[in-house]
Amino acid sequence: MLRSALDRLYLASGWIAAGFLLAIFAVVLGQVLLNLTDVLLRWTLGRPVGLLIPSYAEFAGFFLGAASFFALAYTLKQGGHIRVTLVIQHLPAGLRRWIEVWCCGVGSAVSGYFTFWIARLTEESWRFGDVSYGLVPIPLWLPQLGMTLGALVLTVALLDELQRVARGKPPSYDQGEDLLGPNG
Amino acid sequence: MDELLLSGLLAVALLAFLASGVWVAFALMACGWVAIALFTGRPVGQVLASSVWGASAEWALAALPLFIWMGEILFRSRLSSDLFTGLVPWMARLPGRLLHTNILACGIFAAVSGSSAATAATIGKMSLPELQRRGYHERMTIGTLAGSATLGLLIPPSIILIVYGVAIEESIARLFMAGVVPGLMLMALFMLFVGVWSLLNTDKVPPPDGVYSWRERLVALKRLAPVVGLILGVIGSIYFGIASPTDAAAVGVALALLLSWSSGTLTRESFKASLLGATRTSCMIAFILAGAAFLTTAMGFTGLPRELAAWIGELQLSRYELIFVLTLFFIVLGCFLDGISVVVLTTAIVLPMIDAAGIDRIWFGIYVVVVVEMSQITPPVGFNLFVIQGLTGRNILQVAYAALPFFLIMVLAVVLLVIFPELATWLPTQMTAR
Repeated sequence: MLRSALDRLYLASGWIAAGFLLAIFAVVLGQVLLNLTDVLLRWTLGRPVGLLIPSYAEFAGFFLGAASFFALAYTLKQGGHIRVTLVIQHLPAGLRRWIEVWCCGVGSAVSGYFTFWIARLTEESWRFGDVSYGLVPIPLWLPQLGMTLGALVLTVALLDELQRVARGKPPSYDQGEDLLGPNG
Repeated sequence: MDELLLSGLLAVALLAFLASGVWVAFALMACGWVAIALFTGRPVGQVLASSVWGASAEWALAALPLFIWMGEILFRSRLSSDLFTGLVPWMARLPGRLLHTNILACGIFAAVSGSSAATAATIGKMSLPELQRRGYHERMTIGTLAGSATLGLLIPPSIILIVYGVAIEESIARLFMAGVVPGLMLMALFMLFVGVWSLLNTDKVPPPDGVYSWRERLVALKRLAPVVGLILGVIGSIYFGIASPTDAAAVGVALALLLSWSSGTLTRESFKASLLGATRTSCMIAFILAGAAFLTTAMGFTGLPRELAAWIGELQLSRYELIFVLTLFFIVLGCFLDGISVVVLTTAIVLPMIDAAGIDRIWFGIYVVVVVEMSQITPPVGFNLFVIQGLTGRNILQVAYAALPFFLIMVLAVVLLVIFPELATWLPTQMTAR
């Protein structure tokens, strides 16, 4: 019950990230199309209208932040995060299990620590009413909230993995390396 | 605290985190935490939150997921077979014949994908069986593929150059342009080597399997036209300052979708798979960049990179000696780490040295990428080796041996880059300023 709820959470978080990636595409392509229209208008009417999606660069950046962070847990579960397995891959199974406990432990600690502090940053932005500099003043707590939620789901996913490997189950991120990543 | 002890301790901490299998991004963050908490009085948590926030929601970085997505879409399209059939009639007469299709197809695919492993997989899947069936020398078939696939890192759009550009806050458009000439030069050197080798080993090259008329060649060209148009559109619009790399990436995705749709390979499934693949990969890279941004800030507080740069300065190394030492350092590092981690670690630690020595940052980026390319085909950790091992069933050492001549050509390319830095710096200066 809890198991399937958690797995749904990671997957949903991945789809939210994919949605933000689509949003980046839509915003940037939209602006490019407006630029093209502008050029056409300059040729036909003799003057550009200056069509603009306001603050589109900022929106694209904020969408990217959200996409990256919402995808964290999903990418972890799919084995997408890079790590060096050269040293640990030939260790005997018993020792390897404790290495995985160590990795998930460090991951949970760092991720939890980061989640706490990014949440505080978000809360401060909200309290002081910080906004972005562009044409459209976007409250900074909005994109920061996206990062906070993504980091929180990642922390949950890492704690989930930690209890798995501690009980001797194989970690779910070890499904074979994603060789087609751009790491190479 | 003694600087030497401090830097030694941090290096050991980082190595221990990495070698014990901790994910690279977490290892970078943990190491940054150690640096700040033990050696300065600053509040770690606030620095962590603000540097990660600053590095993650950035316009220039938005080019990254878009270019990755473009590659993912084309990887699932009919592009590789189009490239192969389009190139064959043109290569049949050259000494070395279809071995050149490996090099050119990799070069072209590199220009739509920022990844060398994806280039090796896409082109190899098509060309390896075809070349084997026609009786081409196996070692050369594998070697040309392994060597030229590394071009994916250098020829724009290059994921690793986006990472470098964002990390050092340098213009990605200029970095892209800087990669064009060295990339073409490497392709030319590879083709030259294949040609000379074939003239010396005529018994190992099968005869041409047919004569192609000009008519057939022109028909073949039609299969190449869409992708060449896509490349010229994306790179040209960046060069002429019409579009920023992020804008060009969005147009690239749209055109890739169009190409894939018109060839009938765009399905609901392939669309979903490409989107999720791009989401995962760009997340992995963005997370490492976030970790690296924090480590860079942390290292800045400790003052270590400055000390290190000053120390190197006192050694009175010439530029050539410094580059030589760094090349060895990168090759060793590249044996254990992936290219992106190498680049982000470089920017955190080595960059002040580079500035102090008066070396151009854009040139240095190209240099690092070529050296990282070399590490893609050296054991024990070379991603291209793994990919080609998967495609051919030959083990890593055999693949690495086949790739050795191409590794040496890349060494030659690095030497040429050092002697003639204009190879990298000329094109960016010609660019239309935006």
